[in-house]
Amino acid sequence: MLESIGKRELIALDGLGLRLQGTYHRPADRFLPGRAGRDRVGVLFVNSLSLPRAASGDSAVHWADSLAELGYPSFRIDLPGLGDSEGEASTNLLDRINAGGFASVTAAVARDLTGRYGLSGVVIFGHCAGCVSAIYAGAGCGECTGLILLDPYFHLPQAKRPRVREELSAWARRSRIGRLLSNSYDSVRNLHLQLRGNGLPGNANSQLLTCWKRVAGAGVPILLLKAPGIKAHGAKPRLGEFDYIDYVVKLAGHKSQVSVEFIECADHSFANREGREAVQRQIERWLVLHVPPAGINFGAKDDWSLRAIDNTSDSREPQAEPAGTGCALEGR
Amino acid sequence: MQTRLDSGRRLQERAGYFPVPGAYLYTVLHEVENPAVRVLVAGPFASERHNSYLPLVRWARTLAEENIEVLRYDYRGTGESTGPFEAMTFEHWEEDVRLLSTWFKSRTPHVPLVLHGLGLGAILAGRVFDGGVGEGLLLWSPPANANQAMRTTLMRWVGLEQIFKFGDDRKSASDYIRELEKGSPLQVDGYLWSPGLWRDSLDFTLPAALASEESAKRAYERPVRIFKLNSDAAPLGKGGLVGYDDLRDFTWLFTPNREWVTAVAAQSGKGIAYA
Repeated sequence: MLESIGKRELIALDGLGLRLQGTYHRPADRFLPGRAGRDRVGVLFVNSLSLPRAASGDSAVHWADSLAELGYPSFRIDLPGLGDSEGEASTNLLDRINAGGFASVTAAVARDLTGRYGLSGVVIFGHCAGCVSAIYAGAGCGECTGLILLDPYFHLPQAKRPRVREELSAWARRSRIGRLLSNSYDSVRNLHLQLRGNGLPGNANSQLLTCWKRVAGAGVPILLLKAPGIKAHGAKPRLGEFDYIDYVVKLAGHKSQVSVEFIECADHSFANREGREAVQRQIERWLVLHVPPAGINFGAKDDWSLRAIDNTSDSREPQAEPAGTGCALEGR
Repeated sequence: MQTRLDSGRRLQERAGYFPVPGAYLYTVLHEVENPAVRVLVAGPFASERHNSYLPLVRWARTLAEENIEVLRYDYRGTGESTGPFEAMTFEHWEEDVRLLSTWFKSRTPHVPLVLHGLGLGAILAGRVFDGGVGEGLLLWSPPANANQAMRTTLMRWVGLEQIFKFGDDRKSASDYIRELEKGSPLQVDGYLWSPGLWRDSLDFTLPAALASEESAKRAYERPVRIFKLNSDAAPLGKGGLVGYDDLRDFTWLFTPNREWVTAVAAQSGKGIAYA
C-alpha cells in the first residue's frame, strides 16, 4: 500500500486529541520555485454533514485536484467521527454542527496545516452544513484567510420534518392542485414576512450570524455560491422566505469582501458535472483575485495565467442582487 | 489511524493506495495483531458509497475490536480511488475484489478470509467467492444482478431530484431509464452512467448458487450467510437520509454478523459444514 500517488498524499493529523484522516493535494511544482513557503495559502475542505471528505459525486476530490494544479495546497480532512477519522459521530450531528460543535477542531486543523506546511493561512471551504463549521471556525481562527461557502444556511433547520409534512410537500410537488395550494401558502407566508417588516425569522441561528459578522466584518474575503433553491426565482429565495443572503451581505458591513455568485446549472449537491465545473471556475477566479498563489508571475502568459484571465472576464463582483438561501435541508 | 478500545489497546487503521491496472484503489486496513479471520468489505455502488460510509466504518471497527482484520476500499473510479468512473466496467470492479483478496490473503495465508459485500458489492464478492477465493462469504442484500443495484441507486437519486422539481419538470425513474436505454448517458449524483454500463448490468449477475443459503450450501463447502436488510437498516438498505439514519445504532445488525464471522474463524479448517 502506498501513502502517496502523483500529487495526492494521505495524511493523518494527530495532536488534536483524535487522529484525523485526510488527503493532501500537493500544488503543481511550477508554483514553488524560489518562494518562501510562508507566501502560500492552502485550501481546507471540511465535511458536509456526514458525507465523507470526497463529498457528493466526489466533487471535493475534483476541486482539490484543480486547485492544487493552480498552485494552492489543498487538504480534504474528515472531521472527528466522520469519514475515516477517529471519534464517534453524534446522533444529533446537525444540531452539533449548528451549535458550532466543529468550530474548535476545524480551527485547530487550520493551525496544524498552516504550521506543518509552512502556509500563511488557509481558505476554509464548506458546503451546506460544512459552511456552518467554516464560518464558526473562521471567526475564531487567525489562520483563516478566506471562506468559500456553497449553499450556506443561517437558520436552525429541523433535523427531520414530520412525515405528514413530507408527504404533503411531495403531493404538492407532483399535483397541479397541490402546486396551486403551495403557491397560495407561499403568498400567505410572504404576507407574514412583509407584516413583520422582513425581520429576521425566529429560527435564525443567531450564534452563527454573530460569527459571520465577526469574520465577514473583519474583511476576510468570502465567496458565497448559491445553487437554485426549491421554487426559487433565480438567485432570489422562494416567495415568503426570508432573504438570508441579502441580510448577511448587509450585516457584513462596508469593510467586508463578500462575493455572491449564483450557479444556475448546479443543484444543491453541486455534484453534477456542469455545476461542478461552474463552481471550479468561480473558485479559481475568486482565489486569483483575493489570495493569489505564491510563485505566480502575473506577467507570464502561461496556461495558468490564461486560465485565470479567462475566468475573470465575466466577473460580476460585487453582485448587485445577492442570492437567497435554501438548501436541501429545507426539503427534508 | 487508530481506534481506541475500552482496554486502552489501540488498533491500527492504515489508509493507503493499492495499485491496480490503470488506477489506484483507496483502501483502509483495520490492522489487527494475529487476527483470527480477515474480512474484505466490498461496499455498494457509486453514490451509495456515501450513504453507507459511516455504518461500514463502524462495522469495520466493530470487527477489529474482536480481533478480526478488515480491509475496506473504494471502487475504481469512485471516492478516493483514482480513474475515470465513466471508463469503468463491472469486470474492473470484480478485478478490484480479486486483486485485493489476493493481497489481503497473502499477509498470512493460514488466516481465513471472509468476503463481505453489500448491494453491488455482494455480487462482486459472490462472483470472486464463486471463483474459489475466500473461506467464507457474507452477503448483505445481494441483488440478482447489477441492474437491480443501479435501479436502487437511481430511485434514491430520483427521489432527491424530485424535491426540487414541480409538476411537469419532474421526471420519473422510468423516464431516466428510457433515456439510458435509448443510448443517452445519465448523470446520477455526479457519476456519469453510460448506456453500456446500464446494458452490461443486466448480464452481470450473482452466481446462481448464491440465490439462497440453501443453494449455496449445496454448491460450496464453505460457509455462506445471506442477510436481507430491511428498512431498519437504512441507509445501508433502501431509503434513509444521510446525516441522520447513517448515525443510528446498528448493533442489532453488527452483533449477529460479527458472531457469524467469528464462527467462520473457529470452524475454518475443521471441515465442518455450515448451515
